[in-house]
Amino acid sequence: MSFLNGVRSFIVIFNFFCMAFTLILSLIYVIQMFVSLFRVRRDYEKNFSNDYIRYTDSNNLLPISLVIPAFNEQENIVQNVRSLMTINYPEYEIIVVNDGSTDKTGELIINAFEMHMIETSIRYRIPTKNIRGVYYSRKYPNLLYVDKENGGKSDALNAGINISSYPLFTCLDADSRIEKDALLMLSLEFIKDSRTVIAGGIVRIANGSKIVNGEFKGFSMPKKLVERFQIVEYYRSFLSGRVFWSASNSLLVVSGAFGLFRKQTVIDVGGYKTNTIGEDMEIVVRVHRYLRKKKIKYRVIFNELSICWTQGPMSLKDIRSQRRRWQIGLMDTLISHRALTFNPRYGAVGLLSVPYNWIFELFGAVVETIGYFLIPFSLLMGELNMFFFVMYFLLAVMLGIILSEGSLVLEQYTHRATMTAKQSISISIYAILENFGYRQIVSLFRVEGILKYRKLRKTWGKIKRKEFEQ
Amino acid sequence: MRYELLAVIGLIFCLVIIGIEYLFHYRLAELQDEKTINTRQLDQRIKFRVEGIIYAPTDLSRKSEIEALAKDIDNNFETYEKSVSIIENTRDKFDKDDEEYRDLDQLIDRVDEIVDPVSIYASMLDSNDIYHKGYALRRLADLGAEEYRDVMIELSQDKHRDLAYNAAMALAKFGDAENVAAFLLSIQDDRLYSGRIINEFFDDFKGDRVELSRILFENCNPYMMSNIIKAISPYKLEEYHRMFVENSASKSFQIKVASIKALAAFGNPDDEQLLQIAAQDKEWVVRAAAVKGLSLLDSPTALASVKNALRDKEWWVRQTAANALTSMDISPRDLEDILGGYDRFAADAVKSVLYKQIDNLA
Repeated sequence: MSFLNGVRSFIVIFNFFCMAFTLILSLIYVIQMFVSLFRVRRDYEKNFSNDYIRYTDSNNLLPISLVIPAFNEQENIVQNVRSLMTINYPEYEIIVVNDGSTDKTGELIINAFEMHMIETSIRYRIPTKNIRGVYYSRKYPNLLYVDKENGGKSDALNAGINISSYPLFTCLDADSRIEKDALLMLSLEFIKDSRTVIAGGIVRIANGSKIVNGEFKGFSMPKKLVERFQIVEYYRSFLSGRVFWSASNSLLVVSGAFGLFRKQTVIDVGGYKTNTIGEDMEIVVRVHRYLRKKKIKYRVIFNELSICWTQGPMSLKDIRSQRRRWQIGLMDTLISHRALTFNPRYGAVGLLSVPYNWIFELFGAVVETIGYFLIPFSLLMGELNMFFFVMYFLLAVMLGIILSEGSLVLEQYTHRATMTAKQSISISIYAILENFGYRQIVSLFRVEGILKYRKLRKTWGKIKRKEFEQ
Repeated sequence: MRYELLAVIGLIFCLVIIGIEYLFHYRLAELQDEKTINTRQLDQRIKFRVEGIIYAPTDLSRKSEIEALAKDIDNNFETYEKSVSIIENTRDKFDKDDEEYRDLDQLIDRVDEIVDPVSIYASMLDSNDIYHKGYALRRLADLGAEEYRDVMIELSQDKHRDLAYNAAMALAKFGDAENVAAFLLSIQDDRLYSGRIINEFFDDFKGDRVELSRILFENCNPYMMSNIIKAISPYKLEEYHRMFVENSASKSFQIKVASIKALAAFGNPDDEQLLQIAAQDKEWVVRAAAVKGLSLLDSPTALASVKNALRDKEWWVRQTAANALTSMDISPRDLEDILGGYDRFAADAVKSVLYKQIDNLA
């Protein structure tokens, strides 16, 4: 009898814990959103007098190496490189690193850009797998193609860094497109404040949008529900979360699809970690750790005006694979850098950002998911008051809507008419709908990622994405 | 009961926020749509109007078209800029020596006479928005509105840095050495800010750069001094050549590197000995800068030093030397020696440069 009572008490206490946890998390998100609102507004106004186009011929601009790691990217690679050749930046080189593709990635690049192998001296500052050859094209002198043995995305990025000749480098996904002026705006962060070591841009879902040569040409509502939900999700994640963490110089994630790095800093910390699938977060955390330990002043910045478009997964199966991977990457990074947690030596990173990621981003999914099962169960068992349950459920949903809808308002306020009013309002309906099913499913995928951490921590998995229009 | 009441209040509060958000969202979306339509219509109208001006058959009809355009612009700086940009784009399709190019250039002046853009930007100076103000100052300077110089000087001392910066940039376009220097000196202790700003100001400065540098050199700290030397090095200011020579042995590393780079830009044979010494420096940055300078000199000893730098322990110096070597008068025999020699570093560096060069010649 006493055992049963104990279980009952535990369930009741855990229910309250779940509820409190969800409400606190939602409130944190809402606070983030309001802080971001002021910051984005300020940046938007400031950008008015910052006629950045003037900088295209400035001596101040730092040349950039664009590193594109490619593994079996035959569908996108040529088109992506062509699109990068039209960007608005005075001096840059494009380095395509073929990470031992088994398809026609290499062949297509060599033929499309009339490349041939050259002998060159490589400055091996970060160890990588064997580089089989470096290719150069007379017709496109700022393009280099590197053929190497398979070693994973991080290894390909490290090879690109070794080959690169410029002080800044950016890693770009082969299936993403950056806007024409995005690089220019991002590199200004390094000029405005020379302490800047990493600058991340905003990643937007391209599903439904027409992007031609780095220019947005129009939007039509994507057909699938999951694509629509992702549009809302990305606005929320980038416009609220990243702006907020950047403000306190404790941003831990710069998207692998679009980030600009000071090369020397990345070399100083030893380059990208090769045995992880969360290399984009890991490198940022390692840079924070290294520079804070050495007491070097630095900035990790998020610029919401530099835009990169990416095609989001189109099926729940692919979303599952993606979210599992993100969660494993997050877990891997947090475990590797657990010494930072609640460590005052690392300032806001150790005291705020890392604990927040442990508690809310990693275990938050677990608590949320247990709650989805336990709370209705308790209700059925008569352990929970119906009124209380309904109130909690409505509050949780409403806080979620406040956050998503707030991000859409932010987007509407700052952006450049990517959607018509009708489309924008239609999208906002999905800010409500996502709370009934989609959010719960995504939570399950994240928990699955944690449970399968050991098994899947080195598996990337291939996601099927839409192609960009030619 | 208290908790239940609290929950209901919380719920109502959330509903109110969501309602406000949706109203706000709807209004913003509506405004955005209106703006999109208006902009499209205005663009079309301006385009027709400008075409009317460009292709007007008589001077009188051209004048009336310009007056109609002025009405459309209606003191709106964005519309004005759009109109001018259409004319400029049409103008740029012609060669600079063509009559059409000159005609269209004059047309911008005529539009300016009637539209009076100075008054448009001047009205923006009353705005409370410092970014609009800053923008207006820069545009007034572009238009040569000298009458606003006092306002620019006053605002260049403003406590808001962005505004002060824009005002000082406007003064740089007037070539006002004294006030630009005053602004730059006011920020010299902020290393992170002043470092990049100096380049920009020297780039945009329309007055006497020697005078501007003189005022700055007299009053600045060593860090700013090194930045000024770097900023003026592309202009090869003879007046400071002697100073660069003296500072090439400076105890301050930054001043030393900047001075060597500045001297290297001159390509003066009298500096060879100094560059030869710098090419042996313990710091690779100094060695690389010296090698670059030596490559501009047409002498066998300079060539020998650059060849020697191919064996440098630092990759960057070797690569600089290899790049430099291809622009020097090197004999095929020497090249053969390097490429077929035992020094792998030297051979690799030269090969990587030559592959690209030969490719480009093909």
